[in-house]
Amino acid sequence: MKNDLVNRYIYAVTKRLPNNMKDDVASELSGLIEDMLTERCGEVVPTEKDICIVLNEIGSPNELYEKYDVDGKKCLIGSPYYSTYKLVLKIVLVCVAFGMTLSALIIQITTPNAIWYENVLSWFSMLWFGLISAFAFVTLIFAVFYHKGINIGNEFDLNNLPAVPNKKQVLSKKESIFEIAILILFFVIFITAPQIFGAIVDSPTRIIPIFNVDVIKGTWYIILLFTAMGVIREIIKLLEGRYNKRVMIATIITNIFSAISAFWWMSNDKIMNQEFILSVSALFAKEGNFISNIFANFQYFFLGVILFALVLDTINCIVKSK
Amino acid sequence: MNYDEVVSGLILELRRGTLIILVLSQLKKQMYGYSLVKALQNCNISIEANTIYPLMRRLESQGLLKSEWDTGEAKPRKYYQITQDGAIVLEKITKYWKEFSKNLDILLED
Repeated sequence: MKNDLVNRYIYAVTKRLPNNMKDDVASELSGLIEDMLTERCGEVVPTEKDICIVLNEIGSPNELYEKYDVDGKKCLIGSPYYSTYKLVLKIVLVCVAFGMTLSALIIQITTPNAIWYENVLSWFSMLWFGLISAFAFVTLIFAVFYHKGINIGNEFDLNNLPAVPNKKQVLSKKESIFEIAILILFFVIFITAPQIFGAIVDSPTRIIPIFNVDVIKGTWYIILLFTAMGVIREIIKLLEGRYNKRVMIATIITNIFSAISAFWWMSNDKIMNQEFILSVSALFAKEGNFISNIFANFQYFFLGVILFALVLDTINCIVKSK
Repeated sequence: MNYDEVVSGLILELRRGTLIILVLSQLKKQMYGYSLVKALQNCNISIEANTIYPLMRRLESQGLLKSEWDTGEAKPRKYYQITQDGAIVLEKITKYWKEFSKNLDILLED
């Protein structure tokens, strides 16, 4: 009695079901269709029209699939993550737009011979690309959180209700929002207009970039990793709302990855602009070796500052989480 | 206001809540999906097969029903029957339902 249409219908229902129930549902559905056709046609072989009527009676394969897939999460990002997702998305998109615009202005100012409408066009395409990437980045993080069931302590158990946090344990929402905004702004400006980090050394019209602009642009993925770790850490803080064991573990893990990416990035000996180091070292030569040495080893100084900040943040989090 | 639409929405919600009681009550003896649909239809309760089949599977995963395939006949069929846990749940929910509907009747008559 089975024909191609029935097979296709069963396939349409079961194709997205978990493997462990696929065959069982298919056999059961096949039995149901046979029963309904027998009731309709008796001993007579059912026609294509009979089959269509029976399948229509059972209903759309998608509807039936949804009824079977009771455990499936039917949306990309749902409760309790959705409100935080909207908040983070807003901050990130605003910062990307602001950072991109600032970068475009810097490029226009630092390249006096540039044709303005070319810069406007490039700003527009950069902005478009940046906003789409930022949207995808934030959505991906929250979708992983939602679908991998990362527990943010929303289960209700009277015996295990956490104690009311003291003032020191409450995580400031504003701080996390500010941190995300700074990280995104830093990232956007750093990969689009790294020349902003520069110094006027010899002539008031010429800015010498601190970093090697080409190398910075070529190592964007390391800066992305650094930024992503910071944003994930702050999202977890926003979701939890207080220092606890989960925030502590998340902070330690993300800070370790941030440190690795900072080390990876700064260990590139071409990262600094040699012209800047030479000019500044010469400028401070008279002031003594100390300042001159700082500039001569600026990348290690910079790495030290980042690592120190990460260690401080980790210690602060461990102390407050206890 | 479209009264029919509102009423059919309310009926749908009422049926959704009571369907489990109906299914559990009928599966004191072994039945396969379509025979259950027919049994309910014979009592003037029309439930679509596309609702019954996924529901029975869900109740099975909750431990309220058990199932086994009978492949001895010409058509292989999956038979469902209430479990011991299911019977206890049915007893409790039936008691609640009788109490609730009795009180509801009193309120509606006022």
